[in-house]
Amino acid sequence: MPRYELALILKAMQRPETAAALRRTVETLMERGAVVRELENLGERLLPYKITKHCERHKRGTYFLVDFYAAPDVLPGLLNHLHRDVDVVRPTVLKKDAQTPSQCCGPQL
Amino acid sequence: MFPVVGGRSARVARLLAPRSAVLVAAVRGRKSRSDPVAKSKEGRIKVPPPVDPVEMVVLKERYTEYQLIMRALRLEFKEGVIRKKYEQETGSRAEERARQEEGEHRALMEWNNQENLRILKLRMIRVQKEKEEAEQKKLEAIMKREEEQQQFMKEKEKEILQLQEEAKNFITPENLDQRIEEALDNPKNYNFAIDKEGRVIKQTVLQ
Repeated sequence: MPRYELALILKAMQRPETAAALRRTVETLMERGAVVRELENLGERLLPYKITKHCERHKRGTYFLVDFYAAPDVLPGLLNHLHRDVDVVRPTVLKKDAQTPSQCCGPQL
Repeated sequence: MFPVVGGRSARVARLLAPRSAVLVAAVRGRKSRSDPVAKSKEGRIKVPPPVDPVEMVVLKERYTEYQLIMRALRLEFKEGVIRKKYEQETGSRAEERARQEEGEHRALMEWNNQENLRILKLRMIRVQKEKEEAEQKKLEAIMKREEEQQQFMKEKEKEILQLQEEAKNFITPENLDQRIEEALDNPKNYNFAIDKEGRVIKQTVLQ
């Protein structure tokens, strides 16, 4: 199965609500037959610009990164669902390619 | 008045200065057999050129002599050719020559057969070698393909093993709450700064 990355921006909420939103999202993923690999938190930060979603103007948001394996045909449905979720400001699904060994002679991070 | 012109130029003159009212185009042989004779040629009697008897006699003698000589020469030559042909086919030396030619022919055919045999042997050897080489190449190709297949299988197995290892860390419905708590407790920051000397600074301010 190809490997995808969901860059999720959630509304700036209290901790239990954020946890609930995350749980909802991951359960949706699992319902559609995805295998969730990892869940990363990139912190609550200022958005690069003010985003209006679901009749609300957002200045801050919490960034999350979900690695998962899924079939390609579930993606449209998933994105549709995420767009309708009130707590989600912006969902973005990207494909994750296998890392090619780069011939970069810079410092290894 | 007009200079004596003959043939084409007469007709051209007739064309350019017509006597009659109508301009007649000049064409050679324009009268057919049934046309009446022209008025200017009505009472014409054709007379052959006169013959000089003395001249005639002399000429006749000379001609007979000449023709006699020519005929004799011709017949001689013809006879020579026919004789040669006859001699070639059924002459005295014809049989010897025939036998000689047959002998030569046989020798040449022998030589030809020998050459053919020799080349046949060489060809057989060459064909054999080529067949063997082709067999060798086929075997090598098969070996190579098998090796590649095995390599492929090994790599895939490695990948599977790696995935199995990583699968222990995946999120399951039981892990879910715990992982969410973990993730919320540890925010990860991928930003970093670097300067020209290559010093990496990972600590940044998260707004």
